[in-house]
Amino acid sequence: MSSATVGSILRCRSLSREYGAGDATVHAVCDVDLDVPVGETLAVMGPSGCGKSTLLHLLGGLERPSGGEIWFAGDRIDQLSEKALARLRRRSVGFVFQAFHLLEELTARENVELPVLLSGSSAAAARRRAEALLEQMGLSDRRDHLPSELSGGQQQRVALARALANEPQVVLADEPTGNLDSAATVEVLRVLDELRTAGQTVVIVTHDERVAATADRLVTMRDGVFVEETKLTHGTPDRLRELTTFTD
Amino acid sequence: MRRLHLIGRLAARDARRHPAQSVLLLVVMTASMAILALGLMLHGLTNQPYQQTRTATAGPDIVLSFLNGPHDAGLRVEHAEFLHTFHVRGVISHGGPYPVSWPVLRSGGLRAGVMAEGRDPTAAMIDQPKLTAGTWIRPGGVVVERTFAEALNLAVGDEITLNHRSFHVDGIAVTAADAAYPNADFATFGGPFAHPGLIWVTRTTAQSFATRPMPLSYLAYLKLAHPGNASAFKSAHTSTDKGAPGVWTWQDIETVDGRLIRNERLALLVGSWLLALLAVASVAVLVAGRLADQTRRVGILKAIGGTPRLIAVVLLAEHLGLALIGAAAGLAVGWSTAPLLGTAGAALIGTASTPTISVSDVAIVIAVALLVALAATLVPAIRSARTSTVDALADSSRRPKRRPILLAISRRLPVTMLLGLRLVARRPRRALLSATSVLITTTTLVAALTVKAHQPQQLNPGLSSLPDPRTAAINEVLGAITLVLVILAAINAVFIASTTAADARRALAIARALGATRSQISASIIAAELLPALPASILGIPAGIALVHAVGHGTRQTTPPTLWLLGAVACTLIAIAVLTLIPARLSARRPIAGVLQAELA
Amino acid sequence: MREPTLSLKQELQPGYQLRVVQEVLLALLAAEASYGYQLRGRLQLALGPLADALNAGQVYVTLGRLEKAGLIESERVGQSDRPDRKVFRLTASGRERLGEWLEDTSWPKPAPAEFHLKLVAAAAAGLADPVRLVDAQRHALFDSLASAQRAAMAEPADSVPGLLLEGVVLRLQADLRWLEACARYWSGVRR
Repeated sequence: MSSATVGSILRCRSLSREYGAGDATVHAVCDVDLDVPVGETLAVMGPSGCGKSTLLHLLGGLERPSGGEIWFAGDRIDQLSEKALARLRRRSVGFVFQAFHLLEELTARENVELPVLLSGSSAAAARRRAEALLEQMGLSDRRDHLPSELSGGQQQRVALARALANEPQVVLADEPTGNLDSAATVEVLRVLDELRTAGQTVVIVTHDERVAATADRLVTMRDGVFVEETKLTHGTPDRLRELTTFTD
Repeated sequence: MRRLHLIGRLAARDARRHPAQSVLLLVVMTASMAILALGLMLHGLTNQPYQQTRTATAGPDIVLSFLNGPHDAGLRVEHAEFLHTFHVRGVISHGGPYPVSWPVLRSGGLRAGVMAEGRDPTAAMIDQPKLTAGTWIRPGGVVVERTFAEALNLAVGDEITLNHRSFHVDGIAVTAADAAYPNADFATFGGPFAHPGLIWVTRTTAQSFATRPMPLSYLAYLKLAHPGNASAFKSAHTSTDKGAPGVWTWQDIETVDGRLIRNERLALLVGSWLLALLAVASVAVLVAGRLADQTRRVGILKAIGGTPRLIAVVLLAEHLGLALIGAAAGLAVGWSTAPLLGTAGAALIGTASTPTISVSDVAIVIAVALLVALAATLVPAIRSARTSTVDALADSSRRPKRRPILLAISRRLPVTMLLGLRLVARRPRRALLSATSVLITTTTLVAALTVKAHQPQQLNPGLSSLPDPRTAAINEVLGAITLVLVILAAINAVFIASTTAADARRALAIARALGATRSQISASIIAAELLPALPASILGIPAGIALVHAVGHGTRQTTPPTLWLLGAVACTLIAIAVLTLIPARLSARRPIAGVLQAELA
Repeated sequence: MREPTLSLKQELQPGYQLRVVQEVLLALLAAEASYGYQLRGRLQLALGPLADALNAGQVYVTLGRLEKAGLIESERVGQSDRPDRKVFRLTASGRERLGEWLEDTSWPKPAPAEFHLKLVAAAAAGLADPVRLVDAQRHALFDSLASAQRAAMAEPADSVPGLLLEGVVLRLQADLRWLEACARYWSGVRR
C-alpha cells in the first residue's frame, strides 16, 4: 500500500480532509495513503461517519482535500481548477450514490444520456450509448420511465448505467446498496460483479458485507484512517460445501 | 379563542422564520397598494382645490364671454343682450366687463400667444385672482396665471415683452374664473391662438394691444343668488344669435380642470390594476416557494393532529396578515406622495391642499390587498391541506409527472436547454406566474411606449413650442408606474429564479457530479427562466397596444416604432437573464458533496 | 485450516448443519412413496449448490436406518434390464415421528460462545493477539460470504435454493458485524 504501483489509476499520499476549525475540527480523512491498480474492485468499509464517503468525494473531485496529494491516471487532481475537475468528472469518473440521485424530471434513458451529452457528444450517439447500457442492465423496457416509476433496484441500475455512460476510468460507488432490499441488492451486486470481470476499476464505499465480500480487496476505515486491509478470494466452491453439514 | 391564538402564533412564527420573504411580500404589497391608493385619491384631488380657489378668489358662478372677430370692428360691449344679463333675476352682482386682447409674449427664446385680461388695480368683488407670489398689476407690469407661468418657467421679477413692449412680471396668481393652462381659452375659444396663456394687465394695456385684425373681446362675471342654479341660468340665457355672449358656469370650469387630471387618474388606475396583478403573481410565487419548503412541516403538523383546515387557515392567516400590513403601508405611502403627482390640482391654488382619503378608498385598498393575498394563497393552501400526511412527510408530493409531449420536444435540445426545460416542466404553475409577471411588465412598457408615440410631443401655443403640461403630467405618472412596476418585476424575477435554483439544487448538484460545469448550470437556470419569459414578452406587445387603445380615448390609433417594441422585449429578456444570473451563480457555487449529503439527512 | 478433519471443523464453524436428514426424508415420503434416487433429486432441488455437501451414499444409509427403526417400509420393484429397486413409504410410526418433528421449535444456538472464549483465553494467557485471531476469522468468513453471495447471484430470482442462500448470507453478515465489534473491543484493550 505504501509503495506506488506503476499500474495505479488512483493514488493518494497523506490525504487529509478536515471540516471546521479549532476545537471543533473534524478529521474526516486523516493522512491516508491509497493505491488502486487498474481493474481492481476495491471496497472501503467502516462504520458511518468514519470518513469513507468523504474519501470517495475527494477521489472523484467533488471535494477538495485539506492536505496531501491525489493522482488520477498519473495526473495530480487535488489542485485542479473547478472547470478541470468538472471535465474529470465528466470524462474519467462515474459516480453511483446511495440515494441513486437520478434526475427525477428525466427519464431513465435521458439520465443515462446526460453525461454523454455533457461531454459534447451528439444526441444520436448519446441515445445509442444509453440504449446499449440500459439493455446491458436489463432495463430496455423501462427506458422511458421516470425514476419515480422504477423500483429501487432498477433506479440504482439506471444510476450504474449513467456512471458508465462515458466509459469512465474509475467508477466510484457510495453505498450503492444502502437503500435497497435484499433482492435489489443482489441485482446491483450482479452488475458490479460483471464490471469486475470486465476489468473496470471500481471503488465502493459500503457498510454492507455482501458488497465488500465480492470485491478484490477490502480496506477498513475507522475515524478517518485505514486500519486493516484484506485481499479477498471471491469465494470458492469448496467454501460453499463447508457452509453446511448433513448429519443423520 | 384559544384556537385563534394558536393560528395567530403559528402564522407569526412562520412569517418570522423567513424574514426576507416576508419583507419582500410586504414591499410588493405596499408598492401596489400605494399606487392603487394614489389612483383613487387623485379622483377628488382637482375638485377640492378648485373649490378652495373659488372661495379664495370670490370665483364667479357665471362667466360671460363676448368675442369680437377680425371683422367685428368697433366696440360692441354695449350690446343690449350682454348688459341685460347683468340685471336678470337671480343675479346678485356682476364684475366687468373686462377687455381682453391677444398680444404675443416673448420670454427668453420662447414666443407664446396670450390672452391679456385688462383689470383694475383695485381688488374686484368677483374673481380677484389670488396671488401665489409677487403683487397685483401695476402699470408696466403683468400678473401671470400660475399654470402658464410654470409652463413658461416665469417667476416674479422676470422681464418679458408683449408685442415687443417690455413688461415686468409683478406676480403669479390663480383664478377660478378660467381653466388651467392649456385650457385657459375654453371660454374664448383661443381668439386667434391655439392654447393661449392667461395674463392680467391694466385695462389700458389690454386696450393698447387691440388691432384691427385682432380687436378687443370682453369677459364678465356674475354671482347668482343660488350658485347651484348656474346650469339652469346657462340654458336659459345661451343663444345662438350672432353676437350673443357665451355663457359658462363654474361647473364647466371645474370639469375642464378635472379633465386635465383625468388621464393621470386613468393611467394610475390602470397602472394600479396591472400592479395588483403583478402583486398576485409575486405573492403567488412567494407563497408557492414557501410551501415548497414547507411540505415537510405541513406533514409534521398533520401527523401531530393538525386538521387540513388548520393548515389552510394558518397559511391564509399569515398572508392575509401580511396583506393588511402592506395595505396600511401602501395607504400611507400613497397619501404622502399624492401631492407630488397632483400637479394640476396643486396649481389651482398656491398652497397645495393635502389630499384626503375617503373611507371608501381605504375599504377598496384593503379589500384589494386581501383579495390579492387570498387569490395567491388559496390554491396552494388547499392543496397542501389535501396532500396526504405520508406523502408530505416523505416530501414525495413534489415528484414530477411524465409529460410525453415535453419528452418529445426536449429530446432534440442541447443539454442545458434540456435541463432548463425540465426545470420549467417540474413547476408549471411557477412558470405560468413567471410568464404572467413578464407579460405584465412588457405590457406596461409597451403601453408606456404607445402613449409616448401617441401623444403630440409638444404644444404649440400659437407661435412657439412649449411642453404640454398634460403630457408632462401623464409622462410623470407613467414614468412612476413603469418604474415601480419594473422594480417589482425585477424583485419577482430574482425571487422566481432563486426559488427555481433552490428547487433544482439537488438536480443541478447531480448534474455537476456528472461533470456539468458551473456555466452549464447557470445556463440551465437562465434557460428555465427565459423559456416562459420569451412568449410572455412577445405577447406583451399586442397586449400593451390593445390596453392603450381600449383605455385611451385616443383620436389616432398609433403604434410605436417596431424597433422600440423589439427593444423593449429584448431589454426585458436581457434583464431577466442578468437578474437570474445572480441566484444561478450562487446556486452553482454550492459544494456538490454537501448538497448531495444533505439530501440523505 | 484448509483440510481440517470433519469433527474439528464442526467445532470451529458455528454450524448451519442439517442434523435432521432422517426427518427430512420422512417428510419427503409423506407426500408419496419414492425411490431413493427420487428423494436425493428432491433434496438437491431444494438445496441447490449447497447440496454438494450431501454425499450420495448418505441418503441410502439413512433410509436403511429408518427402515430398521420401522419408520418406513420398502418394497422391491423388479426392473427388466437392471437390478431391482426399492420403493420406500412411510409407516404409521414414521408419520407420528414426523408430527413431533414439525412441532419441534429447536434452533441452532446463536451464541458464538466458543470463539468469544477463545479470544478471552488467548488474551488472558498471552497465547495470541485476539485482534489477529479476529482478523483471521473475518478473512475466513468473508471467503464464505463471497462463496455464498456468488452462489446466490447465480440463482434466478425466487428460486428455492436462493432463499436458503440468503439465509446463509444474512447469518454470515451478522457474524461479520459481531467480529467487527470484537475487533474494535480487542484493539482498544491492546492500546
